[in-house]
Amino acid sequence: MRAVFVREIRLNMKQLIIWSLTVGILGLVCILMYDSMQGDMKSMADMFSQMGAFSDAFGMSTLSIATVEGFFATEVGTVHGLGGAMFAAILAIGIISKEEDGHTGEFLLSLPISRRRVVAAKGGCVLVCLAAFSCVCALFYALGFVMLGEDIPFSKLAVFMAMQLLMNIEISAICFFISGVSPKINIGAGLGVALICYVYDLVGRVVPDMKDYLFMGPYSYANASEIFSGADIAVAGVAVGLVITVVAYVSTFVCFDRRDLAS
Amino acid sequence: MENVIKIRGLTKNYGKNRGVIDVNLDVAKGDVFGFLGPNGAGKSTTIRSMLGFLRFDEGSISILGMDSVRDHEKILRDVGYMPSEAWFYDTMRVSEVIKYAADVRGLDCAQEAAKLCERLKVDTHKKIKELSLGNRKKVSIVCAMQHRPKLFIFDEPTSGLDPLMQRNFFNLIDEYVRDGATCVLSTHVLSEVNRYCRHAAIMRDGRLMMLEDTNIDEDAFLKYYMDEEEM
Repeated sequence: MRAVFVREIRLNMKQLIIWSLTVGILGLVCILMYDSMQGDMKSMADMFSQMGAFSDAFGMSTLSIATVEGFFATEVGTVHGLGGAMFAAILAIGIISKEEDGHTGEFLLSLPISRRRVVAAKGGCVLVCLAAFSCVCALFYALGFVMLGEDIPFSKLAVFMAMQLLMNIEISAICFFISGVSPKINIGAGLGVALICYVYDLVGRVVPDMKDYLFMGPYSYANASEIFSGADIAVAGVAVGLVITVVAYVSTFVCFDRRDLAS
Repeated sequence: MENVIKIRGLTKNYGKNRGVIDVNLDVAKGDVFGFLGPNGAGKSTTIRSMLGFLRFDEGSISILGMDSVRDHEKILRDVGYMPSEAWFYDTMRVSEVIKYAADVRGLDCAQEAAKLCERLKVDTHKKIKELSLGNRKKVSIVCAMQHRPKLFIFDEPTSGLDPLMQRNFFNLIDEYVRDGATCVLSTHVLSEVNRYCRHAAIMRDGRLMMLEDTNIDEDAFLKYYMDEEEM
């Protein structure tokens, strides 16, 4: 199992580096933009905070973008939320199905390793890559605060990155399941999962009737504006996320173990 | 004599498509067994069922005295399989693929792998994506042989290999079999069966039939490949 895990890490290293640097540097650039926009920010913040449902949707009614934390939450929160979800989806959606899509499944599964161990090694690789991605991005964001001469909001940043990691794991778990039951790599389906989750949250925050159902989506507990405004962690959302993650992983083990391997 | 492969009543359906029907097969230890049949007759389905790639509907398969479903992982430790297509990970080098196969087995096969690479003239520095089908097949042969398994299963091993490599391949098989291994050879090449196999069976329309003699002439052989209307 270790050999499969190490090989998967090596195969995904390039992708991990590209996504970590891209999202991390984008976030860093966003933070640094605060300095140049600070002068105009007060009037913009007042305007943005009075846009009703749209202000709620982007968290600008609870947090002022005139402050560095508010600016981070609204700008970097969106960049990292979308970038991380897309990376999680792309990473997980092909990690199992690539064996059948690339006709390497017969080689791998003719070696003395059970399908469950293969799934475990690949799942482990996804988790390690997502954790590494979060760490690299967090370092860039912390660097952004330092470069602005601001104090790093350690506890809020840590909670935000932890919730984002949990959200990424949930999205990757759904894509991991799709990868385990499909003999083809479905990048489109993976990106679809990530974008549907994002849009679901966005619409849920704009449409008042949907607010009660926000907890079903992974973005509900990873919302940067809520975390940086000091709101309580959305326990129901986290619980649903954990259940979805566990069910998706267990289903992947069961389904991949039972299905016929495409030639 | 001890049977290395024992298949009883194997049936596999693919929904509307026929797979294999009530296949019974015994392969004795030390045998070089020819497995013949037209494309789509069920040879690969039988082999893939033996290796656990497919879940069969009925019957039982015993390999090296172990149940193919329950003891799947244990069986694969002593099996060397070469698929007909020989696909690997494009970005890896030949040496990495060979070592990876040994690592997953938890074995150090460097010495045997080096011997095989020399005999088969495998360039271990090349990337997989730079290899022709024939060279990929040679890598596949090394991966199947380097751990000196008790049972070899080869699916159309010589397609794409030049005549000299074909001879080297069969010389290797002969050496391993003399050391106690058993070999199942799925092929369309009659001369290989005539020359190298001790026993053979032919699959047709999902059913298996043992051949009395491996020295069959081409006309009799081709009859198995013809549709009933053509005969």
